[in-house]
Amino acid sequence: MESPHDEAGKAREAFRGVTRDVAWVAEAPKPHKAWLAALGIALLMLGWGVISIYHLVTTGIGVWGNSNTVGWAWDITNFVWWIGIGHAGTLISAVLYLTRQTWRVSINRAAEAMTIFAVMCALLFPLLHTGRPWFAWWMLPHPNDMGMWPQFRSPLMWDVFAVSTYATTSILFWFMGLVPDLATFRDRAALRGDKIRAVIYGLLSLGWRGSARNWHRYERAYLILAGLATPLVFSVHSVVSFDFATSQLPGWHTTIFPPYFVAGAIFSGFAMVLTLMLPLRHLFNLKHIIKEEHIEAMCKILLATGMMVGLAYATEFFIAWYSGSLYEKFAFINRAFGPFWWSYFAMIACNVLIPQAFWSRRIRRAPVIIFILCIFVNIGMWFERFVIIATSLARSFLPANWSYYTPTRWDVGLFVGTLGLFFTLFLLFFRYVPVIAMSEVKGAMPEAHAGGSKGSKGGHH
Amino acid sequence: MSVLQKSLHPDEKVKAGKIGSTLTKAGLAVAVVFLGLSIVLAATSSPGAGHASKWSRFFHSYVIGWSYIFSISVGMLWIVMLHHLVRGRWVTAVRRICEAMAGAFPIIFIAGLGFIIPLLAGYQDLYYWAHPDAHNHELNHHLAHKFGWLDPTFFAIRYVIYGVIFSGLAWYFSKKSREQDESGDPKISETLRIASGPAMIIYALATCFLSFDILMSIAPKWFSTIYGVNFWGSACVGAFSALALIVLGIQRSGRLVHSVTAEHYHDIGKWMFAFTFFWAYTAFSQFMLQWYGNMPEETFWYKYRMFGEWKWVSILMLVGFWAFPFVILMSRWTKRIVPSLVFFAVWQLVFHWLDLYWNVMPSYQWQMTYHDGVAINAGPLTGNPALHHVGFTAVDVTVWLGLVGVLLIGIGRNLKGNLIPVKDPTLPLSLAHEVQ
Amino acid sequence: MSNAHDHHEDDQTQGPATYGDGELYGVLAEYDTPGELIDAARKVRDAGYTDFDCYSPFPVHGIDEAMGIKRTILPLIVFGGGCAGLLGGIFLQWWMNAYNWPWNIAGKPAWSIPANVPIAFEATILFAVFASFFGMWILNKLPQVWHPFFRSDRFARVTDDAFVLGIEARDRHFDREATVKLLKDAGAIDVENVYYETDPARKQMPKWITAFIVASTAFALIPFAIAAKARNSHSNKPHIHIFADMDFQPKYKSDQAMDLFADGRANRGQIDGTVARGHLNADDVLFRGLNGGEWALEFPKAVEVNEALAKRGQERFNIYCAPCHGYDGRGNGSIPQRVAAGGGAWAAQDLVKPAGSAVQMPNGQLFNTISNGFNTMPGYAAQITPADRWAIVLYVRALQRSQNASQTDVPADKQDSIR
Repeated sequence: MESPHDEAGKAREAFRGVTRDVAWVAEAPKPHKAWLAALGIALLMLGWGVISIYHLVTTGIGVWGNSNTVGWAWDITNFVWWIGIGHAGTLISAVLYLTRQTWRVSINRAAEAMTIFAVMCALLFPLLHTGRPWFAWWMLPHPNDMGMWPQFRSPLMWDVFAVSTYATTSILFWFMGLVPDLATFRDRAALRGDKIRAVIYGLLSLGWRGSARNWHRYERAYLILAGLATPLVFSVHSVVSFDFATSQLPGWHTTIFPPYFVAGAIFSGFAMVLTLMLPLRHLFNLKHIIKEEHIEAMCKILLATGMMVGLAYATEFFIAWYSGSLYEKFAFINRAFGPFWWSYFAMIACNVLIPQAFWSRRIRRAPVIIFILCIFVNIGMWFERFVIIATSLARSFLPANWSYYTPTRWDVGLFVGTLGLFFTLFLLFFRYVPVIAMSEVKGAMPEAHAGGSKGSKGGHH
Repeated sequence: MSVLQKSLHPDEKVKAGKIGSTLTKAGLAVAVVFLGLSIVLAATSSPGAGHASKWSRFFHSYVIGWSYIFSISVGMLWIVMLHHLVRGRWVTAVRRICEAMAGAFPIIFIAGLGFIIPLLAGYQDLYYWAHPDAHNHELNHHLAHKFGWLDPTFFAIRYVIYGVIFSGLAWYFSKKSREQDESGDPKISETLRIASGPAMIIYALATCFLSFDILMSIAPKWFSTIYGVNFWGSACVGAFSALALIVLGIQRSGRLVHSVTAEHYHDIGKWMFAFTFFWAYTAFSQFMLQWYGNMPEETFWYKYRMFGEWKWVSILMLVGFWAFPFVILMSRWTKRIVPSLVFFAVWQLVFHWLDLYWNVMPSYQWQMTYHDGVAINAGPLTGNPALHHVGFTAVDVTVWLGLVGVLLIGIGRNLKGNLIPVKDPTLPLSLAHEVQ
Repeated sequence: MSNAHDHHEDDQTQGPATYGDGELYGVLAEYDTPGELIDAARKVRDAGYTDFDCYSPFPVHGIDEAMGIKRTILPLIVFGGGCAGLLGGIFLQWWMNAYNWPWNIAGKPAWSIPANVPIAFEATILFAVFASFFGMWILNKLPQVWHPFFRSDRFARVTDDAFVLGIEARDRHFDREATVKLLKDAGAIDVENVYYETDPARKQMPKWITAFIVASTAFALIPFAIAAKARNSHSNKPHIHIFADMDFQPKYKSDQAMDLFADGRANRGQIDGTVARGHLNADDVLFRGLNGGEWALEFPKAVEVNEALAKRGQERFNIYCAPCHGYDGRGNGSIPQRVAAGGGAWAAQDLVKPAGSAVQMPNGQLFNTISNGFNTMPGYAAQITPADRWAIVLYVRALQRSQNASQTDVPADKQDSIR
């Protein structure tokens, strides 16, 4: 018969276990070999990207495959792809918080980090595709001797505000969540005698001491930020979709783009979260925190958002016929049977057909298969943006202007570079920053409500 | 994840008893009085606004009112299916009522025959595509290809298909849930969870296409891919508002007084808030994109709603359906205090009707035009916006209220037996539900 | 910052102080479980203490109520921030795009409200986020990297697995014995005294941190300093061109000089003796109104004279000619009227008066006038196709006929309609 003290001891051991399991990744003196290898590859990719950027900036946009009329191609495809991937992080942090899905606590830290890195990668593209990125500061309103102001009616300006708000909010939200865990790292470092780390983590954690009075305001701010981040996530990808939908180009100008893009973003974002989490939880022994049920829940969200994207495809197709617009009808037939038919079928296969596998519970519980399928989903979503952008532009109104688009090695190099940047940042994050929200995981454990005359109510949802 | 559970209060009255039949009788009375009044008003009116028939206003209001009652049930069907899909917890206490509201579909679709049958019989003053002048190729060459789809017979067949789909889905989820009252079998929850996936897909397609057919084709030259989603958003605002009122009414009668608490009302209020925002988001997307693209084949629909007599209705919608409820429902307390929640539920129910009215009624006025010296009916949303005059008549409201009566009949018929899924495994969690 | 040695005594006696302990700051009591912490907090609050706090690795639910923590005003601050963002975003766009320097972009209204919504929305969110984030830290009085309780090793476990209640000695009800007893009775597994630091060396921020902050601030200001200097100075030197080949592109523009050619022009113009496809324009009558060197009297064969042509001519005349010549061709169109209203005089030709040149001249000459202009009238060859110009000629003739007609000219079957 266990005394309450023994039970409490077990509970506290469980809490310490969480701390240890997460902290050892950062505190291990030597990094895991797999991590080093991955970092090496990522740095090589990043290097290729740096070279591509140098060549692009010094020579000009002509080094890309962009042409008249395909003025947007890999650049904007990649921009939208990266932003879309970033949205899953905010969704996991904010929306799952608001809907009280406590399973989010095992993945939200990594997902938020993923958002920030994805947005950084995304921002490179609009910046560089201007051709003279050193003038980009003109997009921010500031007094000047020409009396010139930005043209706020342009969706591209909306992008500037939306994406920078999104980047700012993501960073602040992520940092806020980090503070209690950085405090944990600080105290562990102090107890170990590691002065340098204690000081660095100490400054970054702002002196957090777990005070209940502070937690009260902290929780309120967290809820408010989650409540603000949710409409923000919807608005950011909606604004990105406005880049296309406000135009008059057939295949671009359609009212369903905002929710369709948001659903697609969540779809690709979750696929990327899974792509990252599945190997990492295996390599770093985090399977008891990032559990199978959590992975399964994410697969279901993938399936649901994939179906929403499919519904949007079906609606677009129907209305293209219904509208009676010759150009609209042509745009859709051209997607499937024109020169880029192969990208269209890649998109359908990866976005509509492959996710159907997630109806099966067995597949939802098979990490290796999920990993492969998620890579296909991301490929599919890349093709979706490519289909929308390049296919429509290659067959615009005047047949005399019809063209084809082929990427150059500099297009590819820049994209590979952003992948390298993303993975480099993520690997560094994984090594040095608490990858799982320890305080949130502890708060969600049943032991968090134990003891006392009444126990504590509810949970840290 | 709340680990708290509570069991059903021993004194709780869960049986519907007479409440169903009371509601049905009340609904019947309302329906008979108001629809009867509407018929009298319509019969004693005269044709106008480009219509040869004097019943056109009546039928336009009927479509609006029918879409209204359909939307209440469609929103409730959604929350039932969603609840099963995500293994939700808090809804369980009120889910049987949601099922009852969704179960009104058969009555709703029978009531809809009130405009479908005339359409089949050749009534040409409701949907312009059923009017012979719509087939004038020179005037309406953008409609020519659509007549395969917008054909009264095919339209009616689709209507029946929608009726079967929605009634079938609602019946299935309700039936299984009531089975669980007897057996308490947790496997039933699992079955419903698995069924809700494909059910959602069928639901989404059916809802979108129904809104394209019944509402969007009122202005047959116009189109918008987001229309179905926008309709559904507005529907859910109305549905959750109606849910709040009906649950309150049931509690007033002494039933479920312990089971449904301020926590549940808070969550219903949250859904009202969320969908108010979602509706505004889809409505704005649709408007802004068509305004920005400035393509005449799309903007004409908005032209009549931005200039002329509908301008003020549009502004009223913006302020009343979105801005005011959004700001006030943001606060925690407005959702938990009963008078406040009741106020906003009624408010949003009225504005949801106004939204559907705004979607349909501007198309009521059809313009005559001359083509090669012959007078032709050019249909809705043509001619000078300054001369566009639809006005507001009593029939618009009486038909609406009459059809609300029909909805109450439909709901009342389903309020029998247990008003709460007594043996649902998630019920204890729902009863202990607390909003943080 | 870092911890000091600890005081592990269960009783209240002070242990030997290596660094020199100051006054008692407060006591820390550790509890086993969150629930016990809540109970203890309630007891402490009920006993009247106010300067106390609970410390835990995660927010313990139910403790706010037990401690009597009042709901924070943060939501109001956030609402205020959001409103500021909304109004600011709207004002920014209105002032810059509709008031200070309005542009006509695609014919949209100067204040394009639907187009301003996305940015106004983002600004609302951004300011609300700032209010929430910074408001929370400020209300929490953080960063506050040092706190006397950090001197305790036990306190370091608060971010790991410990649940601690701390009461400050300055609280009115604080009493060395009674307070500790209260805490122990509430179930504390341990109670510890915490004293103020007295070692002056340990009480100051290490010099290297101060140096680092100063240095990094100075570095951060360098770009601004450079910009300020550049904006307030003049230079005779040419601009720095980082990408010379982008700024001075090896290409020639239309009207530049080029010494490779004798005439010194980059624009080579039309090649002598050649005609671009479709530009031969051989039909003299059609393109120039000339027939064998004289003004053509008839319409060109390529143009079919019928009612449709006249209607086309009417439509084109009303667009291009009526502003000056008037709809009736009498020369009092809206432009002459406007000039007259301003006190000037500028008459356009009366095309229909019987003695006028427009009536007398042959069709070809009329065509030529439309194409190439006459006196102050510009030529319209660039705007109106040859066929359309002939249509206008036909319409002008129709105008001339109609404006000078008498009742007998009207066909018999239409006589009734003009009564």
